[in-house]
Parts: sequence; C-alpha cells; structure tokens
Amino acid sequence: MHDIDDLERRGIPSVFVASDPFRDGAQTQAEALGLNVSRVFVEHPIQDRTDDEMRDLANRALAELLAAITGPN
Amino acid sequence: MTTVLDPTSEVTPVGRERTRRPESLAGLTVGLLDITKPRGDVFLDHIEAAITALGATVTRYSKPTFAKPAPADLRHEIATQCDAVIEALAD
Amino acid sequence: MQLPEGFVAVVKRDCATCEMIVPVLEQLATDRGLIVYSQDDPTFPAVSDWVVDDTDLVVSWHNQIETVPTLLRIENGAEVERIVGWAVEQWRSFTGVGDLGRGLPEHRPGCGSLSVDPTVAPGLAIAFGGSGLAARRVELAMLEDDAEAMFDRGWTDGLPVVPPTQERVMRMLEGTSRAADDIVTVVPPNLHEISVEKIAINAVMAGCRPEYLPVVIAALEAVCTDEFNMHGVLCTTMAVGPVFVVNGPIRHALEFNSGMNVLGHGNRANATIPRAVQLIIRNVGGGAPGGIDRSTQGNPGKLGLMFAEDEEGSPWSSYSEDNGLAAGVDSVTAFCAEGPHLVFDQVSRSPESLLRSMASQLLSANSPRLTMGMDAMLVISPEHMSRFAAAGWSKQRFREELDEILQVDADTILRGVDGIEEGMPAEFAGMTLPKFRPGGLQIVHAGGPAGLFSSILGGWLAGDKGSVPVTRQVIT
Repeated sequence: MHDIDDLERRGIPSVFVASDPFRDGAQTQAEALGLNVSRVFVEHPIQDRTDDEMRDLANRALAELLAAITGPN
Repeated sequence: MTTVLDPTSEVTPVGRERTRRPESLAGLTVGLLDITKPRGDVFLDHIEAAITALGATVTRYSKPTFAKPAPADLRHEIATQCDAVIEALAD
Repeated sequence: MQLPEGFVAVVKRDCATCEMIVPVLEQLATDRGLIVYSQDDPTFPAVSDWVVDDTDLVVSWHNQIETVPTLLRIENGAEVERIVGWAVEQWRSFTGVGDLGRGLPEHRPGCGSLSVDPTVAPGLAIAFGGSGLAARRVELAMLEDDAEAMFDRGWTDGLPVVPPTQERVMRMLEGTSRAADDIVTVVPPNLHEISVEKIAINAVMAGCRPEYLPVVIAALEAVCTDEFNMHGVLCTTMAVGPVFVVNGPIRHALEFNSGMNVLGHGNRANATIPRAVQLIIRNVGGGAPGGIDRSTQGNPGKLGLMFAEDEEGSPWSSYSEDNGLAAGVDSVTAFCAEGPHLVFDQVSRSPESLLRSMASQLLSANSPRLTMGMDAMLVISPEHMSRFAAAGWSKQRFREELDEILQVDADTILRGVDGIEEGMPAEFAGMTLPKFRPGGLQIVHAGGPAGLFSSILGGWLAGDKGSVPVTRQVIT
C-alpha cells in the first residue's frame, strides 16, 4: 500500500487488490499512512486457483477496479 | 502521532484526499503492477484484456519482491508513463 | 475535581520545605486524617494509604496549586481555605493541632508547584482541555512526516512550514494580550472572519516568534481594508503584492533589519512576519496562486516583503510620520508594489545630480510610457541620503525639487509614439503630466552603510479602483 500512497502523491489514481483476509490490515495501514487508499478485495484463497477461477475473480473485480480509478470528481 | 491546528478557514474536509480520477480510461495508459505473488499475473492478464477492450493502453510492471515497497526508480517510471495504476495481488 | 473531606496537602519530594515538614504531615495524617497528593514521587512523604500519586498532575492542575506545600481544608466537597508554604503558627491555627511542627523553623517559603512549571503547564492545559484553542484539530497519521504533511495538505507557500502544534500555538498566543477568540478582520478573497488564534496558527507556520504576533495582526489588518483592496491585488495579472514598512521602537525590540540587505534575506522578523500574512491570505482567505491569484509572473516579494525604516540614520521625518502618525509610534504600512528595481548611481556627489539621476529612474517606474495612475516607493540608502543630508536638504525640499523634474511631456509618450502602441491615451496630447499623483511617491530610508545604490518599488493602480497605502498601529 505504500506504493499506492506514493503514486497518489504523484497524482496517479491508483488501486490495490488483495484477498479478503487483508481487509483489517489494510484499514490499519491506510490510517497509518493518512490516506484512504483505494482498495479492492477478492475472495481468498488465490494460490491454488485454476485459470478459469482466476478469470472469474478478475471479471467480478473489474467493476470495482474501474470505480476505484475513474469517476466524477 | 502529531496533532496540529488547522490553519485554514476549515471549510474543506481534513485529511489527505485521493487524487482526481479521470472520467474514463479510454485513451489513457494504465499500469498494471504485479507484486509477484503466485497467480497474480493470471489475474492481471484478464484485467489487461478487459481494460484494453475499454480503449486503454496497458503497460505491465512487476516488483522485484512483494515484501518491500517498489523501488524508487520503478515508481518514478510508472508515474511518468501511466495515467492510472492497478497493483495486484496480495494474498 | 473532587477532593476528600477534611485536610488535604499537595507536596513534592523535590522541595526542601516539603522535606522539612514530613513529621508535620505524618502527625496530621494520624491526628486529622490528612491526605497528601505527591507531585513527583508517590512514596513521598511515605509509602502509605494517606499518600496519593499525583504525578500526572491532574489534581494539582484542576485545583490551581501554585506552591508546594499547599494545605487545603475541604468541607462538603468544596475548598474552604488554603495556606501555602510553612509557617508554624499558621499551620497550628489552620489545623487546630497546637503542638504541630515542634523543633522546626518558624517559617519557610514553599517551592513552585510542578503544575505551573512553564515547561509542563502548556501540555497540561492542552491535555485537560483548558487550552482555549478552538481550531479544528488535525491528526497527522503515524507514518506521515510532519514537514511533508504540511505540503500534502496544501498549507505552504512552497517552502516548508513549522507544524502548528497546540503547544506552539499556545506559546505564540502569549505574544498578544488579545483573547484567542477575538475576531480581528475579514480576509479576502473568500471573506472569512479570522480570529487571533487562527492568525497565531499561521504565524507559527511562518516561523514567527510570539513577540511578532502583534505586528502580524497589524499587517493583516492593513491589507484587509477596503482601501488596500487585497482582493484586487490578488486578482490582477500584474506582478504586485503587499510590501510592509515598519516604524517605531518596535523595530529594535523585535530586531528588524533596516540596514544591509534590508530588502533581501537573512532576518527572521523581516522574513517571517509578512510570510505569515501571505499564508493567511492563502489558507484562510483562499487566495492562492493558480486560483484567485492570477499574477502572470509574480515576483519574489510575494513570499513576503517587510522591512524596517532606518529612522535614526535619517535626517528626515519617518515614513509613518508622513502617513499621519506621531513620532515614536509603532506601526506597519502596507503598500502594494512590484519587486525592487535598482537605482544605480555611483558617481553623483551633488544632491542636484543625484536627484536627477533618481528622477530618471523614477520616470520608468512601472513603465516610462505611463504616468499618474500608479504610485511608487523610493528606498533611499544611507550613502545616497548623505548627499542630501550634507547639503542640508529637508524632505520637503527633496519632494519639491523632485516634483519639478518628474514632469512628462505627454506628447512623447502617447500611444503610438516611437512606434510603441502602449502609452498615454490621445486625450492627454499637448499636456505636461506629473509622473505621480500628489502623495503618490512614498519615501523611506533604509539600507547598509556602504553602497551607492537605492531602490524603487513601482506600485499598482492607485486610488479607488486600485490600492492605496494603509498604515496600522501595532498594539502589543
């Protein structure tokens, strides 16, 4: 999330993707950084997923990802 | 944690705001930053396909290790080349 | 803060008087149920249930303990009376214990309470809510660097600022006798009211000392007047901003610079006070570059330009006296100006020659093609001034002789003349025009002892549609 914080400081809209168990940790990190970093969570686990399952995960995450880096201001 | 007093007229919210977002990705360059944990590349492949279909150009990057923030050079490179960034996938 | 009924004492180990009266405290604990609050060591005067730990100074602060030992009598939850220090007769009659303190000296003064110690007290006031500070608190995140956080929030002028912690702001507020919640003025362009506290916050950020605060207040008052027209000054594309001149004994008290490098860098008062004003205009007034501030190119003085007049070295009356104040009054005058332009004359010995030399430069103030519409400030350096002083010229004579020379044949500067489209409108054809409106030329004496250079600061539009110089007294 430091990367996202850094890119945001440089004016680059950025979003971070992590699996569900990261939610609380991400919240704590965001508070420590002082920025409500854009973040999208996907279902855990990841490492043993098949290609088809990864494709589904990506498709389901897409809308949230787009919402995180585009939008009205 | 340091507390300071607000020097402004206090009409805007406290705290850092996210940077402005574009209205759409069409015509923009989107960086996909792989943190190099397993299967993250597959996830990003699909995201790349979807975003390209929306009219954006995608550039792929990867971090040397997921355990540390990206090196300064890489961040600089990404910042100068991209209009938006998606970093994935922490597991 | 509720104290127990009966007798209560507040002490600290690090106090010879408190140490001396330990037998007295023990006797009162036994005979009168005395409860003792200890400010620095919960084992002093004894390890016992009649000694209470007040090392966080909560009880001491809330009961306004200024001296240790303090002995209080509490009845029905309220303090009835208190005595401080040690005096045998006083303690005996206060407690009704006739043989108290046998063998001890008759009296001994107490020591300072930790809760009023200047290094400790501001922190207590903040912690216990008595700080009286009303501004919104902004918590910086744990991983945020304090200095970067100021930049990130857009609170700076491009240079780093001092983070305005509560302690720093409280210390800054000691520089004025005004209440923190006093409203001082309304700040353009957004026309927000500003309190003394909010001024203090920005003064901390600018790097001011507390004793500078009254000058910041006066300078801000000056630019927020309708006459100065800060809104107009911000919106113009012309490269102008407020320039401040300080007069009066305060120049010495606050160690302003009126000498070498007077218009440059290196002096804290000169640099930080006008900077505070500029920070207020952007942070409170909303007047930041790119937004309301439309200046095409700006000038370095917009970070803040303030200097003191060298009154003592001048044979003439001061700038503030010209502006109607009595001699010896502390004041700030705000004048809307460009950056300084050098007057170069290394040769003139006679006052007549130097006058003409200065006049030739003054005719170019803002533009040689324009007259009457804009004021200017002439800062005469000591060596240049010596030419006039040696010849016994008064300021009056200087002005009169200058006025005679600062006349322009309008036909030479009409639009289109010499192939230059800029210039005076055709309706002025055939006239002789004064370069400046009456009173438009500001004259100030400042600079280092050596150097045959003076400076001119061209003004902005003068009068109703523009800005006029405004003087404000400094009230400490």
